[in-house]
Amino acid sequence: MAHRNFVAKFTFLLAALALLVGGLVAAPAKAAAKVTLNIWTFGNVIEPNMKTRYEKMHPNVKIVAVNKGGPDQLAQALIVAFQAHKTPDIAAIETSWSGLFRDYPQYFVDLRKAPYNANNIKKDYVAWRWAQGTGKGGEVIGLPTDVGGLEVAYRVDLFKKAGLPTQRDAVGRLWPTWDKFIEVGKNYNKKLKRCVDKKKDKSCFIDSSGTLFTAILNQGTEKFYKGVGKVDYQNRQVRAAFNETGKALVAGLGSRIAPYSGDWYAGMNKGSFATLLAPAWQLDYIKQYAPKTKGLWDVAKVPGGGGNIGGSQLSIPKAAPNKTEAWKFMSWYLAPAQQLTVFKEYGLFPSAKSLYASSAVQNYKDPFFRNAPIGKIYASGALKLKPLYEGPKERAIMAIFGQALGRIEAKKQNTSQAWNQAVADIKTALDR
Amino acid sequence: MTPDSAPSPKGRRGARVSGSPSSGKPAKSWNGNKARETAWGYLFTSPFFIIFFIFGVIPIIYSVYISLTSLENPLDANEVFVGLKNFRNLWHDPEFWKATRNTFSIWFFSTVPQMVLALGLASILRNPRLRFRLVWQTILLVPNITSGLAIAVVFGQLFGRDYGLINYCLQFLGIGNIDWLENTLASHVAIATMITWRWVGYNSLIFLASMNAIDNALYESASLDGANRWQQLRHVTIPGLRNTIVFMVIMGTIGGLQVFAEPLTFGGGQTTGGSSGQFNTVTLYLYRYAKDLFNYGYASAIGIGITFIVLIITALNFLITRRIASED
Repeated sequence: MAHRNFVAKFTFLLAALALLVGGLVAAPAKAAAKVTLNIWTFGNVIEPNMKTRYEKMHPNVKIVAVNKGGPDQLAQALIVAFQAHKTPDIAAIETSWSGLFRDYPQYFVDLRKAPYNANNIKKDYVAWRWAQGTGKGGEVIGLPTDVGGLEVAYRVDLFKKAGLPTQRDAVGRLWPTWDKFIEVGKNYNKKLKRCVDKKKDKSCFIDSSGTLFTAILNQGTEKFYKGVGKVDYQNRQVRAAFNETGKALVAGLGSRIAPYSGDWYAGMNKGSFATLLAPAWQLDYIKQYAPKTKGLWDVAKVPGGGGNIGGSQLSIPKAAPNKTEAWKFMSWYLAPAQQLTVFKEYGLFPSAKSLYASSAVQNYKDPFFRNAPIGKIYASGALKLKPLYEGPKERAIMAIFGQALGRIEAKKQNTSQAWNQAVADIKTALDR
Repeated sequence: MTPDSAPSPKGRRGARVSGSPSSGKPAKSWNGNKARETAWGYLFTSPFFIIFFIFGVIPIIYSVYISLTSLENPLDANEVFVGLKNFRNLWHDPEFWKATRNTFSIWFFSTVPQMVLALGLASILRNPRLRFRLVWQTILLVPNITSGLAIAVVFGQLFGRDYGLINYCLQFLGIGNIDWLENTLASHVAIATMITWRWVGYNSLIFLASMNAIDNALYESASLDGANRWQQLRHVTIPGLRNTIVFMVIMGTIGGLQVFAEPLTFGGGQTTGGSSGQFNTVTLYLYRYAKDLFNYGYASAIGIGITFIVLIITALNFLITRRIASED
């Protein structure tokens, strides 16, 4: 009996081993034919149609685009992946994280080197976007995807009610500076009265005056760092941006609705704010979440001429298993021709400046926004910006300033109190 | 423990136990070699202990080490030994103590009403006249299996200052808008509501199970003595649930000290816990120092600080439990 049991068990074990070995032998044979590119992405950085198109053109390449949920989750996962030496082939890094990864170029492939020779295509892209993918020693660690840009989306019907001009060029001339923007806002609130009357459906000039802070900061050349490793968050630029935003907050310009909150989406539909500082990709949000407001919005130039919020870089980590194939896909995806397709199909504004003068961009009109020439407006804005150095602790410092502005908005402190506490908080947080 | 552990008077004929009849030897039995039993016991439980050691104990020891160091750069591993500097900073850190007060406040608002509600729901479920009992029990568990993020998004909308449903109802009642985000107490109530909504069903089912274990004879004698339903609740049900309540308070405390996902999403994904840290919790504070400021040393020190708070609470719980138990 025992002997029969033993034979049965042995045969079973042998069969299982055979299957295992067979599988192991067969698998590498299959892998030699196909390359699998592992891409970490968030949002719509890697458009699915483009991915399918590339796979059709290159049948030996399979692209697996893993959506990490958001730019922060992706960056945190990437930091862990660096330590584990197990990284994807391509990683999308949002610009607010560029400041950190810029200090660690050793974890990325320097795309200046052969066979990538990224400097050959440098002239195709807007300089300040290219700079965001440059490491502290000048290494090219990422290529720019889209340009967020920044212009003002405004409600034509509400402007009319307040007696303001409604044609977009005239509106743009109302506010060449941020001070004038605040003046227009104050007059709007006074005229319409709904901002002060708590009983009525609230409608103020802008969603949150706090959005001015990032907009003004990004228009300059210096943010929170004087250069590599030199933190300087009390410089004139930051102080000016903070004070200007404080002015807008104290004037009660905004409806005190945080962007991307529940109230914000509802407010878009109900006309709770007459203006929005909108990057190109945010126009899509309006279309998606407030479709009934079609034809009520238009786009005008932002005070200061141009601005930018958001954007991302595609980079190849040093430990990537398929560097050459990754570069082939990346350089194809970010080439001006493909960026034009993405712009036409998805509305993401290209970083390839060679496209800006093209008729496709210049003549692009969006019927949702009363046929505003979105391409022309955002292109001229994008060309006005200069390279801006962002350092590693940028996000943490920004969060503390955000808290300070929130306190001014909630009337817990005045501008100088909020500034002093912010500076003290940053000092404690960084010096610990 | 087993019924046949007593030595059999039939001796070694081994008719009851399995074995190979041909060899004539008594086969292995459960009441055989004691040492071998113990060895098997260790072998079967060792996987848990090995995994717990690798993934539980060693990281704890390592984080104690890290709390005594300071890391210059997030991606470099060059830590510098700084002794108790992190702990000294922690002791004098007003934000940490604020986070601790917030954590306790949120715990209070989420535990006390939850106990009362769970008790009430369990009493309703226990009513023999209730129909479709299984349906109600299942519905009660749905919040528990819902994604925490989804709950936070929906409740964030409900608690919206201008267009949230709750403020809309409050306006009807004439109370007016409450700023659920900026007001300290309101933010605690809002977060506690999310936690309560998630756990009250689960806890009520635990109460229900314990209630069903209370001897019916006690209820019968109580009603014979003329007690109405309310008095029965006070004098029969709640004393009978004493141990369950203690268990739930302990579990609620452990969970309450770790509240993290709700304040994070309530603040729109910011790790600052509100414009003046009004709903910052200790775990969120730890997360911020680890993930946003890359200060692993200080974050580990916060973690050890949380551990001490947990130990103190556990000791208090233990003392109270002993007093309750000794009353029996």
